[in-house]
Amino acid sequence: MYAMVAAGLALMLGVARLINFAHGEFFMLGAYAFWFGYSELGLPYPVAVLLAPAVMVIFGVAYQRTVIRAILSRSWHVQLIATLATSIVLTNLAIIVLGTQPKEVPTALSARILDVGGFRMAWQRLLVLVAALVIFWGLHRFVARTRTGRAMRAMSQNREACAVVGVDVQRVTLVTFALSAALAAVAAALVSPLFNIFPDMGTALTLKAFAAVVAGGFGYVNGAIAASFLIGLTEALAGSYVSYAYKDAIAFLIMIAVLLWRPQGLFGRRIGI
Amino acid sequence: MRLALALVTLLLAALSGGALSAGAQVPPIRIGFASAMSGPAAITGEGVRWGATLAVEEINAKGGIMGHKIEAYFADNKAQPGEAVSAVRKLADVDQVDVIIGQTHSGACLGAMPVVKEIGVPMVIEACSHPKIRELSGKGGNEWTFRVALDDEIMAYTFARYMARQGVKTSSVLAMNNDFGRGAAVAYEAAFKKAGIGLLSTEFFDPGQPDYRPVLTRLKRANPETILAVILASDGAPFMRQFRELGLSQKIFSRGSLASAEFLHQVRDNPKIGDGVVEASYWVVGLDPDWDKKWTERHKIPPRVHGSLSAITLKWAVVPAIKIALKKHGRADRQTIRAALKEVDVKDSPLGPIKFDDNHQAWINMILLEMRDGQLRILEKLQTSPALLN
Repeated sequence: MYAMVAAGLALMLGVARLINFAHGEFFMLGAYAFWFGYSELGLPYPVAVLLAPAVMVIFGVAYQRTVIRAILSRSWHVQLIATLATSIVLTNLAIIVLGTQPKEVPTALSARILDVGGFRMAWQRLLVLVAALVIFWGLHRFVARTRTGRAMRAMSQNREACAVVGVDVQRVTLVTFALSAALAAVAAALVSPLFNIFPDMGTALTLKAFAAVVAGGFGYVNGAIAASFLIGLTEALAGSYVSYAYKDAIAFLIMIAVLLWRPQGLFGRRIGI
Repeated sequence: MRLALALVTLLLAALSGGALSAGAQVPPIRIGFASAMSGPAAITGEGVRWGATLAVEEINAKGGIMGHKIEAYFADNKAQPGEAVSAVRKLADVDQVDVIIGQTHSGACLGAMPVVKEIGVPMVIEACSHPKIRELSGKGGNEWTFRVALDDEIMAYTFARYMARQGVKTSSVLAMNNDFGRGAAVAYEAAFKKAGIGLLSTEFFDPGQPDYRPVLTRLKRANPETILAVILASDGAPFMRQFRELGLSQKIFSRGSLASAEFLHQVRDNPKIGDGVVEASYWVVGLDPDWDKKWTERHKIPPRVHGSLSAITLKWAVVPAIKIALKKHGRADRQTIRAALKEVDVKDSPLGPIKFDDNHQAWINMILLEMRDGQLRILEKLQTSPALLN
């Protein structure tokens, strides 16, 4: 979950040089889109999973066209305030429009338990893991092999030079936001059957994903993914063996330690996806 | 001529004065409701808004309180002590309310208490159960705070005795990482000791977080016979699913709203997931069937605990106090309502008797509930009293 959200955040940071503090709300809206398709429209699970990113691609494009385009050339203070404000507005809109009652979206896989020698987990967790690996492989291929992916990598290294040699900077930025929104929505659709869906669910996630992006190397997608797994594992181990109440604090302390040790992030390099 | 003019003027003045008197509105009584209307705990504030609105409509439809209509005002405390201060100031200074009902969350209640004392506005607490609230109210120093909700210390002693009677020897506490959860954890630690139950571990979790597997792993390692979970319905569904997922078999005793209609509504695909949970509470669907019907017709979901508690506090504690104030003083302002609250003596509210003691604590009934076959049933209803603390 962290990894897919952090990958989107890293893409945005790499390509647009912007930290989208409303990214957790992309996840929240994606979860609601999935809930609407699965529970309200009665769509089969795979169709509802695809509906969520389809809706969020449209949202991501609209967000880029309205909020992001207006602030892209402004200072980081303006970007910070604008994306944070969007986050607050989206959360409160969700409270007003969708209500505060948590939505439960159990599926056949979330109810069935896989038991291997006493190690028990819902089949849905296995699905999340497999799907995440497939998505990361696809994302890697997209960024490495396709024309748009190569343009994204180029823009992450030198935006001005890309514009000079004819890369359609606006279009690539648009694709980046659409892709990031889709990634958050797929993550939401995959994990929602295991958790609750509620308006505030994205707030803490943004912070964790941001921590992963920073620890992974500021906009380096593979670094963000690896750091997300590291944060998730640290949280699980700290929660299981040290203190559950302070697992978040422990995860962030480790991030601070990483930055003190390697200010450029774990997979140290300059900005570039 | 001058005399005629003066007479006409006097006549007009008398007529206009008479018209004013005839058309004068009986002043409304302004009641403020403070709860978490946004943030992770917004579900409680939404319930409070719904419950308060429904109750105010009901009272006003019957002509108000002795002819005075009620106006309801709302403020958001975000379940945070600092925000609760702003909520009180907004209600008292901007909305000019005569009395506040709130703040739903113990931390917010504790944060609001010094401000209601400073401003001088009565606050009637509908749901906060932190033991410190009783210590600080009334003869504890804060004459402006009254509490209808039961205290966790009172509940913990009674619940621990019940658990001991069931043969429980060991337990672990799992509580929300906030003032409510931490206050309850301290209360149960003392109560378990007194009841001869061994406390094996105490764990805290942040409300609204998705993954309970690490903390459940810790509980599994501690291997208690039972778990005392201080948890709300909104967190209850993922908690219970992951509890079953990991194959834990401990009996769960709970405080909060795990065994509630809200929880059963959330897990309606598998309502038996909560079977066996026994909860200590003071409100449950079914105590006031008329209320349940009105709520369900309006909102299409079962009544929520905090909304219902706000409505009961309004109808059975604040309205009687306003009536006493109006009868005794001819007006219901902050001072007279505070004085009248001390005289409230309601015998038959849905929560049981409401009469505030020297600490401004009402000793309402305590209920033990059980979830069985996807249904709620009342195991015991106990009249509480200060003797329970001995």
